Amino acid sequence: MRDMKGTLALAGAEIKRLRRNRRYLLFTIGLPVILYLIFAKQNATAYGVSFAAFYMVGIASFGAFSGAFNNNTIRISQERKEGWIRQLRLTPLPPNAYVVAKIIASMATSVPAIVIVLLLGRFDAGIHLPAWEWIVIAVTIWLGTLIFAALAVAIGYAFDPDSVQPIAFLVYFLFVIFGGLWFPLSGGLRKFGEITPTYWIVRIGTDVISSHTVDVTGVVVILAWLVGFVALATLVVRAKAEVL
Amino acid sequence: MSQSRTGPVVSFQNVSKHYGSLKAVDNLNLDLRSGETVALLGPNGAGKSTSLDMLLALRKPTSGTITMFGSDPYHAVQHGHVGAMLQSGGLMPEVTVRELVTLVTSFQPRPVPVDITLKRAGIADIAGQRVDKLSGGQTQRVRFALAIVGECELIVLDEPTTAMDVETRQRFWASMKEEVAEGKTLLFATHYLEEADQAADRILVINRGRLLADGTPDDIKKKAGAKRMSFRLDGADEAFLLRLPGIVSVETRHDLVQLQTDDSDGTLYALLDAGYRPHEIEIGSLGLEQAFLAITAEDDQANDTAQTQPAEEASRK
Repeated sequence: MRDMKGTLALAGAEIKRLRRNRRYLLFTIGLPVILYLIFAKQNATAYGVSFAAFYMVGIASFGAFSGAFNNNTIRISQERKEGWIRQLRLTPLPPNAYVVAKIIASMATSVPAIVIVLLLGRFDAGIHLPAWEWIVIAVTIWLGTLIFAALAVAIGYAFDPDSVQPIAFLVYFLFVIFGGLWFPLSGGLRKFGEITPTYWIVRIGTDVISSHTVDVTGVVVILAWLVGFVALATLVVRAKAEVL
Repeated sequence: MSQSRTGPVVSFQNVSKHYGSLKAVDNLNLDLRSGETVALLGPNGAGKSTSLDMLLALRKPTSGTITMFGSDPYHAVQHGHVGAMLQSGGLMPEVTVRELVTLVTSFQPRPVPVDITLKRAGIADIAGQRVDKLSGGQTQRVRFALAIVGECELIVLDEPTTAMDVETRQRFWASMKEEVAEGKTLLFATHYLEEADQAADRILVINRGRLLADGTPDDIKKKAGAKRMSFRLDGADEAFLLRLPGIVSVETRHDLVQLQTDDSDGTLYALLDAGYRPHEIEIGSLGLEQAFLAITAEDDQANDTAQTQPAEEASRK
């Protein structure tokens, strides 16, 4: 019980830090809002829905995943090097508290990033959907954030602050571009996109909007990445336990 | 507290930690008793940090067992029995000092009120500052604060006064003495021999991962075996002085003779028997620093001999 309270207190402090971080707010909320306002209203369609609807799902995912991933990889790597993780191990907190608190904080702070873009879709682009569709779209993106939170832990623990930035950027860029968060995929690019979780998170959203049946393959691909990255994060954290 | 007053607070039994062929800690045996202030003294790479890491459950011994308050180190840390400050410990940036201390206090089963901790650590005046904007000495005091946020029985400090100026260092030891006066056990590693001499009731000298000496500062000085003797003597003959009983080393400058001896009485009597009448005779113990150097140098020498012998045997084949 005390364990959980301590972990939540740590998560609370992490959220407080993020709220104060202008750079973080710029990349998870500012940039998605600007992108959406500039590019959403095009006279085109994608995956059987209007471009504005596709772009809403893509950009909401982009903001949420950026927050969970970019920011965390660098911070975790730095905090490992500077010994904050080690300091926490000297307290009565359970050993996994640091990682759990980071993930809770990522999940909590991705909520406004998702909600704000969906609100823009509704009120700026005029997308009208039944309430349950909004909920399914938001929850799908929100759960997808978990994949990137887990990957951030794995990469942040595995690499030093000097090398983590380009690696994190490369990995993230692959998922954003080849997963089709910025523009819809077609042809060969789409074939490649179908192995990414990001493509399927967007597709679940657009399929819900177009009242198309959600492809089971997508759910399987998303779950496979989630299980894979959680396992990877667990392995890396365990392997680094003695050299913190 | 059902803690037994008689049993050791901390016990290392045949503890070793190897990294490949390097023996960072080599068969260490020691007990810390309740209420003691113990200094862990050793040169860089002696195994001090590795020993403290194992004590705090950050690393696992290759062999041997460590017990703390009757259980393993992990459980002792989990139950808040230990407050620790490591050189390698970092702080969470982007929060204020007070926020950080409040946060870490909330993890404790028996928390100390935040204002008291801030005062004890001497950081009440910087409580509103951001952690990442502090000077080295201020950071060190915040790290110390994190070691005393809970009502613990054992405090472990690794080089606590590094980066502190003289005044801060004195204040630090004054507040440390208050903690110890409450009956807490204190174990600290240090480079400053003066600090070990003044603050500790007991000193553990380690070198190459092994415990070389264990005793009060006076015991350690005696363990080095030698006494320091000086006197003035006109026409002193160094060759003659070196033949005196117990002599370890001799240094003469004009009529001033300074020597180290294992047997100060014997040396003096032999000198007088030979008809010399030295004046301004002073006999004293070696300083802790000289004692420490003598103990570790002796060990290094013994080790070098032990290492070169098998090598020579091998080259003969």
